[in-house]
Amino acid sequence: MVEIRWHSRAGQGAVTGAKGLGSVVATTGKQVQAYALYGSAKRGAAMNAYNRIDDEPIVNQETKMFPDYVFVIDPALAFTDDITKNDKPDTQYIITTHLSKDELIAKIPALQDKAERTYVVDCMQISLDTIGRAMPNTPVLGAFMKVSKLYELDFFLDNMKKVLSKFPQKIIDANMEAITRAYNEVK
Amino acid sequence: MANEYELNDVEVWDGNFAASQALRQAQVDVVAAYPITPSTPIVEGYGGYVANGYVDGEFVMVESEHAAMSGCIGASAAGGRVATATSSQGFALMAEVLYQASGMRLPIVLTVVNRALASPLNVRGDHSDMYLGRDSGWIQIDAFNAQEAYDLPLCAFKIGEHLDVRLPVMVHQDGFTTSHKAQNVYPMKDQIAYNFIGKFVPVDEMLDFTRPVTHGAQTEEDWHYEHKAKQHKALMDSRTVIDDVFAKFKELTGREYKRVETYMMEDAEVALVLLGSSVETAVLAAKQLRDEEGIKVGIVAPRCLRPFPYDLIRDALDTTSLKAVCCLDKSAPGGAMGALFNEVSAAAYTTKARPLMSNYIYGLGGRDFAVDEAKRIMKEQVAHANAGHITTDIQQFSGLRGPKLGFFQTRRG
Amino acid sequence: MSITGSAIGTDKRGIRELGGEEKLGWDEVEQGVVLSSFDGSTENAAFLKPEEREYSDFNSYTATVASWRIIKPVYNRDICIDCQNCWVWCPDTSIISRDKQMLGIDYDHCKGCGVCVEVCPTNPKSLLMFNEASDNDAELAGWPVKEKKEK
Repeated sequence: MVEIRWHSRAGQGAVTGAKGLGSVVATTGKQVQAYALYGSAKRGAAMNAYNRIDDEPIVNQETKMFPDYVFVIDPALAFTDDITKNDKPDTQYIITTHLSKDELIAKIPALQDKAERTYVVDCMQISLDTIGRAMPNTPVLGAFMKVSKLYELDFFLDNMKKVLSKFPQKIIDANMEAITRAYNEVK
Repeated sequence: MANEYELNDVEVWDGNFAASQALRQAQVDVVAAYPITPSTPIVEGYGGYVANGYVDGEFVMVESEHAAMSGCIGASAAGGRVATATSSQGFALMAEVLYQASGMRLPIVLTVVNRALASPLNVRGDHSDMYLGRDSGWIQIDAFNAQEAYDLPLCAFKIGEHLDVRLPVMVHQDGFTTSHKAQNVYPMKDQIAYNFIGKFVPVDEMLDFTRPVTHGAQTEEDWHYEHKAKQHKALMDSRTVIDDVFAKFKELTGREYKRVETYMMEDAEVALVLLGSSVETAVLAAKQLRDEEGIKVGIVAPRCLRPFPYDLIRDALDTTSLKAVCCLDKSAPGGAMGALFNEVSAAAYTTKARPLMSNYIYGLGGRDFAVDEAKRIMKEQVAHANAGHITTDIQQFSGLRGPKLGFFQTRRG
Repeated sequence: MSITGSAIGTDKRGIRELGGEEKLGWDEVEQGVVLSSFDGSTENAAFLKPEEREYSDFNSYTATVASWRIIKPVYNRDICIDCQNCWVWCPDTSIISRDKQMLGIDYDHCKGCGVCVEVCPTNPKSLLMFNEASDNDAELAGWPVKEKKEK
């Protein structure tokens, strides 16, 4: 079982990202869950999305999890959210920031002892450069492929194209570029 | 003729999308709806399918949930296959008309995405609205996950429309936990799903001008009682049709449903009885507790809340090994023991084993139900079993902040 | 000149006392309290006269409330102007009118409320209430004359 917790702001596409990841994973015969904890939250409010991935049908409907991966896709949430909540000794963190890894860890006490399992990538800048607006949900999945080695980049890109197939070609291409850049730039 | 919708063998759908696809595949003629969170995407989805030619039907916008169910009744009495969706406050506003639908024997399918009732206002899931429908004369079937939120509405049409039944059917799923959680769903092809349900067969339809009929007649004490008794018998007798439809569904898909789902009850010494998405979490907890500590836990889950499966609940609890049973109610009990506790206890009282029965209120307003908490409750049942009597208050509260809250003590033991 | 009964053999108007039906058990009542108005075919029913339609026992046409009357309306064709006021106002569809010509009272469904007399605009009235036991011809013979307006 692989468990992922997303830290996002409502409107940044965490739910869509979590469902997109789930859709790609499901095509490989695995079982997935993609869900979020939100309700009457307005755009911009901090929220969590979650993924579970397993080889067996997933029956755990508990919301809380002890994540294997934590995605922080909004730069400010790394400072204001409890991103290391329910941390396990091998929980890995992928954090959107313009800072270097050392600069970021120096500013966040909770990450002090987690340097070797913390990764940084500037999904915000990547999405602004490629998609044209702050939409960090797909780039973080590129970074996740690099860190987790779950799938080869090309395989993931091909399947993600199918998930995004209802969008115009221009948007699909921009997302593919964003995923690829994040894959290459995550440190 | 509606367009065929392209489906993969496996889709990643949340419960809402799954239910809306079931409504599409059933080729529902009329949906009259007043959308409400968290059930909105079900009727929104149907509206989209109508607009895009994927269903040959009509979406009727109305001014309230009361009007939505009234519209459904009109369309159903007219002779169409009819469905809608609601939650919580909308369900409560619909309540008056629900009784009309069942009394008029109209096989409407209502997908209910369970949500807490105000006050305080809350959009998240508990079973308050589902419990509110208990006496409405509808068949109530409960889906525990997204796959079931797709499968069970398909079964619901076939059950409700059966000529021996002709009753409306609610298909419940938990708000957000199921409705907004995407999971692997294995859909049927459109034609296979439609053929499973079959063409809608109208009965006493108002649009049959060769046989004009009066619907919604008034009766007083001279007729009312007999009609309600006949209706009750139809609801009780629907058990065999439900069993039969579930059996046919298994033949077609391999997915098995029972009016009461039981897990590891063969040798269980303690058991939890609960509803909805929490069932799956409890099954996981029970398996872990068996592996970790050798505690023989079983789970009993009424799939069918109405007609209440008194027969199968009794069968499930009538094992000599069983010593203690806890019923978990995810609805504010309003000055009583939990409704599930009351009904299950009544069935358990007629067993030889007569296990110790206790009650937990849990999960109100969407409060998370944790695997660890399920295990704690299971271990508490073991303590009751070992003591030979209930060692705590009979009604307790799980996952509640503040001083311990509980009511009533046993006089046994 | 009233119409009671009918020359047509199938006419089931007023063949039973309203409320006097056999009380059925729960196993015999109609599913969903659905009541069918007709027995058999209803083809062209809209174009048939009521006495030609095959009404079922669920239709009030086959019931009678004649026994409820203490007083009854008597109709005087000689004065009537066929204004249809009584036909419009009768709460029990008991004014028989064909092609906008008033024919008389349906004494099977009239319960003797007197509304028809109240709304009759002629002077003297074309409908008057009399004791149920009285003889229609005798009452018609003694019909009141036109009242002169006082100046």
